Formats: sequence, C-alpha cells, structure tokens
Amino acid sequence: MNRLRTTLSLVGLALILTACGGGSSTSATGLGSGPLLVGVLAPFSGADASFGPRYLAGCYAAALSIDGAGGIGGRQVSCQQFDTKGEPADAVPAANAMIAGNSDLMGVVGCTSDEASTVVPILDRSHVPMFCMTGQSEFNKSTAKYFHRLVPADSFDAYAMIGSALFGPNHAPYKKVALVFGDDIGSQTFVGPAVAALNKLGVTVAINQAIHLGAASYRTEVAKMLQTHPDVILTETIGSAGTYMKEVKQQNGGKVIPFIGTSATIDPVWFKQVVDAIGLQDFLANYTAVDLKLTLQGPGYDEFVTQLTAADAKYSGSAALTYKGKSPTVHLYDGIIMTALAMVAANSADPTVYNPKIIDIANGVSGAVVVNTFKDGVAALKAGKAIRFVGAAGENNFNQYNNSQQGYNLVTMDKDGNEVVIGQLTEAQTQQIIDAGGGV
Amino acid sequence: MELYLAALGFGLISVSVIAVAAVGFTMQFGITNMINLAYGEVMIVCAYVAYFFNQKGVSVWAALLAAALAGSVLSFLLNRLLYSPFQRKGTNLIGMVIISLAASLMLANVLLAIVGYGSAAYEVDQGFLLRWNGLVLTAAQIAVIGVAVVLMLAIHALLRYTRLGKAMRATAANPTLARNCGIPTQRVIDLVWLITGALCGVAGVVAGMNSENFTVASGASYLITIIAAAVLGGAGQPYGAMIGALVIGIVTELSAAAIAPEYKEVVAFAILVLVMVLRPQGLLAKRGALAAAG
Repeated sequence: MNRLRTTLSLVGLALILTACGGGSSTSATGLGSGPLLVGVLAPFSGADASFGPRYLAGCYAAALSIDGAGGIGGRQVSCQQFDTKGEPADAVPAANAMIAGNSDLMGVVGCTSDEASTVVPILDRSHVPMFCMTGQSEFNKSTAKYFHRLVPADSFDAYAMIGSALFGPNHAPYKKVALVFGDDIGSQTFVGPAVAALNKLGVTVAINQAIHLGAASYRTEVAKMLQTHPDVILTETIGSAGTYMKEVKQQNGGKVIPFIGTSATIDPVWFKQVVDAIGLQDFLANYTAVDLKLTLQGPGYDEFVTQLTAADAKYSGSAALTYKGKSPTVHLYDGIIMTALAMVAANSADPTVYNPKIIDIANGVSGAVVVNTFKDGVAALKAGKAIRFVGAAGENNFNQYNNSQQGYNLVTMDKDGNEVVIGQLTEAQTQQIIDAGGGV
Repeated sequence: MELYLAALGFGLISVSVIAVAAVGFTMQFGITNMINLAYGEVMIVCAYVAYFFNQKGVSVWAALLAAALAGSVLSFLLNRLLYSPFQRKGTNLIGMVIISLAASLMLANVLLAIVGYGSAAYEVDQGFLLRWNGLVLTAAQIAVIGVAVVLMLAIHALLRYTRLGKAMRATAANPTLARNCGIPTQRVIDLVWLITGALCGVAGVVAGMNSENFTVASGASYLITIIAAAVLGGAGQPYGAMIGALVIGIVTELSAAAIAPEYKEVVAFAILVLVMVLRPQGLLAKRGALAAAG
C-alpha cells in the first residue's frame, strides 16, 4: 500500500513538473520557442495604484520594440500585470503565483519599495532577472544576483534635494529647511541622510515632520510647520501632497512656500493632485524636483517614444503616452530591452546563463559598439560584435551591487506636467553633500 | 497656546466629517445588525458621483444631494441584493462581515476600472477666511460644520419624535417582538438603509472636501476612523457615535500639536483601547436612542 502511495505521489509530482513546463521550451543553449512573458509585479490597486500602470506602459513599449524586430530568436514578448496592492502580504502570493504559473517568464519589472523586501528574495531564488523601482538602502549593497536597480538609492535623492536647495537656479541658497515626509519606512529613509548633511552644511532644519500618509487632513501639522518659518519644504508625501500643500496655502495667507520634491514626485498623478490643490500658477512658481540625469534624446529615446505611441494606440486605456519622459517608464523599458539583448547575446533562454550578460550589455565590455535599439543590438550581435546598450535613458553604469547611478538633474514641470530640466548638480557639489551626509 | 486653540478649531472640522459618517455606520449596525465594511467604498462611490456633477459645472453643494441619493440607492440595493439574502439564510455575524468585505473589494475594483487610480478634487468656492488666534477656517469648512450639525439634529429628531424613529428603536431592540407588535420591520430596515445610505453619501463628499483630494483607495482609510468613532461611542448607538467622533476628532488634532504628528492616530486608538478595557460596551451603550425603550 505504501509503495503504491509512493508511486502515485511520484507520478503526480512528475505530472505537476511536466505541467509547469508549460507551452514553451528552453534549454541552457538556444533561445527555444513559444512566447515570452515580462511580469509587471507592482501595485495596481491600493494607495500606490498609480505605480503599476507607468511600469506597464514601459513594458508595452519594450515588447513592441522587440517584437517589431523579430522577437528574441523569433519569440514574441508580452506583458502581464501582477498586482501586489502595495502590500507585502499581497505581494508574496502574487510573486509566487507569477513564478509558478509562467515558465516563460523572462524577467520582472516593478518591485517598488512597498514590496521589494519581500519579493526580491523570492525572485532571486527562482532565478528571475528583475529591475526594481525601489530606493531602499538595504539594496545599496545587494547580494541578490538577479536584482538590478536603475533608480538611485533614496539617500541619493535626499542629497540631490539638498543640492537643489543650496545650488539650485533662480534662488539664493535656502538657509532654513522643513522636512515633510511620510511616516512609512520608505519615506523615512530620506530623512536620516538629509538631516546629517543639512546639519554639517550649516543649514537649519526648521522642522522634521513625519506625517501619516492618507490622513484626512494636516491642518495642525501645517500650523506647526508654519510657526517655524522655513524658506523651503523638502517633501515627497505621495498621495497626501495635495492635502498638505493646500493647507499650507490656506493658512499662509494664500502664499505657497517653495517646495522641492523627490524624483518620485515627477509623476502625472502627483502633479494633478498638487495642481488641483494649490492651482497651476502657484505650482509652477514654487515647485522644483530632482531627477536622474536622463538624456531623453537620441535614437534610443526616439525608439522609445515611437513604441510608446504605438502602445498607446494598441492598448487603449493604458494611457501609455502619459508616461513619455517619465523616468520609471523609461528605465524599465531600458531594463527589458537589456534583458532581451542579454538573451540574444547568450543565445539562451536560461536565466542562469543570460542574467550575467545584462551587466555586460549595460556597461559594455572592451571593444563594444554602442547600440540604441533592440533591432540594432541584435544586428550587431549577429555580426559577432560585443555591444553596449545606451537606451532611452542614456548610459548605464552598474556597480558590483547591480546598482546603476547616473548623476542628477534639477527639474520642474511645465503646465502640462512634462518634466523640464532647469539645472544640474556638478560632481563636486554632489560629493560635498554626500560627504556631509556620511556617504551612501 | 495659539497652536492648541487652532488645533481645537481644526478638530471641529474633523469631528463634523467623522460624525456624519459614523452615525450612518452605527445605525446600520444597531438596527439591521450588519457591520457594513463596504461603507467606506460606498462613501467614495458617492464622492465620485458628486465629482462627476461638479465637473459638469454643478456646485458641490448641489452635487451633495446627488451623492446622498446615490448613497441611498446603492446602500438599499447592497442590502436587498446581497446582505438580506444571506441574513435570511442565517449567516452569522462573522460571515456577514466577510460578505461586506467582499462587497467592499468589488466596489473598489469596479470603481477603479471606471475612474482610474488618479485623484479627484472638487471645484469649491472657499469663500471668506475666518482667522482667530492661529485658527484659519474657510466659509466652505464652516459650511461643512453646519451641514453636520443640521444632520445630527435631524437624526435626533427622527429617532426621538417620529413614528419611524420609534419603529427603528423597536426594531433595534427586538425585531421579532417589533414584528409581532405590527411594526413592518422589513420596511423599517429598507428605510434605515436609505437614510444611512444618504448619510454615507454626504459623508463621502464632505470627507473629499476635507481632504482636498480623494482616490478610490481613500475609502479604506476613512473607514478605520469611522469604525473607531462608532465603537468608542458604543456600537449601534448614534449619540455614542457623535461623542466618539468628537473625542477622536479633537484628540487627533491636539496630539498632532502636542507631540510628533505621526502619533496622532496612535493616541486616538490608544484612547479607544483604554475605553474598551474600562468600558467594553463603549461610552454610551444601552443609553442611546437605539436602546430598548424605557
């Protein structure tokens, strides 16, 4: 009886493993056949529901670019959303279901600060290459081989905001700063480095407020902040910035205090929320932000815009074009193209083989030719050349922890919510602040 | 001192918003024995109904009526089509809570598909500014306080001085006995869902005005405070919910002035826990309008 049970168990296990093989075939060498999938593992509902669609738009554009060039060894790429709801408890089953149900998964994008801590280990164990949109400091020296980050650590954002306050154009250096961030762990990672750097650089921290995101109002918090008379507010407060800034304007006699946002504030949803609250003129007059030094020009960016336009038409309701020039969309597009090129370069659909190639493709190896699109990359690889992919966002420079840094732009937004570069931080300025803040 | 006076004044707006919502929520529980976790989502649906009209150029105050109507209809249908059939089958209270949670998720996701994840904000003429010792209130905020006061007085009058109010109290106290005494309890329950649905609709709009912006996800965050106020006052007790709203609204603002703002809700919930330990039935249980007569 026991033997029968064991035999049945083994047969069952074999059937499950066969089923998990799905409809595609892969091997250590050769690109295999059948469609490939990019998982967009991110919040599509809940407080951070705005994150998912901007990543999905980047994925759509990348898939169209790849498919238009013949696919990865003929394999077409599609995108599927996996909703983490912005909660680790929901993200884990979503990640597990995505991996278990999709043997054709070539990579994952998304994994924001809401869920990265819980899903990165799962994806890494399953050998799924990922490009994550988290600034959490725990990934500054990540040992996860399949983890990649094209966005800066939050501490870098904090330093850049201070750079904007001290060296930004169109204003004298601010001397008295209010820090207004959410009370969640992700938001608070900005605060420590910022306070350290400000103190060392002789700038007064007028008030350091950790506000509860999603609260119905912040009237008392704003009254308390206004009593300290800051020159400028450094903030992020995703989801609550409109409420907070409206109350600032109301209690401050109709005047808005200049405010500097993180790179996450360069976002259509954030823009609309704050503009609705304080009015367009006050927004344009008082808002600046920091963003990665994206080039947003050249053949790589042109291809991105072309494919994003096509995605906007093909996937009605995706509003893909809304995300033109938005760094998360641009970065994840580049990440997917790099992964696809790595597969072609490795001539393998086995992630253990092509994952290390992603860094080679991004950083380039000796003698590599620069390519800007998937199509050109494949052509160069077929011609036997090594390549360096300089994509829609420009060059990438991954370090040994799979973090890529590109420096910072000082930016604002125009009346339509498009990013406008107004200045840059020099390396010397950036280094001065980083040293003051105690490094990354 | 100026900051505390301002916080006290700001607290009055919070109290008004919470009270309108919490009274509707607690009446649903007190009279129909239903802990309706979809209440926050119904609020947001109604807030978007008002937003739709407001975007068409209708004043938010007129749109408030449309939201109240939408809240009435939606709550009535929710009860008739979903909750009542399960209650008739004898589903226990926990089962009903799970069903209302499912309703909440369904409403949120349907709404998300319709309006998207972006935020909405009403076009409101804020009117004059009242300034006093650090307290700054706009005419619109004072109007919100006025709406809440009028509604609370109306609920008081309904429960105390009308036949329907007496029938509601009887149904809340003992539905079987009420039915045997000739009270059409099913009709009373329908009317309760219509009235509390209207309160829910109004609450959605004033909460949206209070926050300046709202999204589909706002419903869940509103609900936590509403439940806290209802439980603090004594579950099922409208007057208790009013007092619960007063305590939560004022304490959160005063604690934001006194200590770090991230702890303001912690303080409010600490008070809730303390009351639950010392007086598990809540502040007004068995003494409110829905308790047995006499």
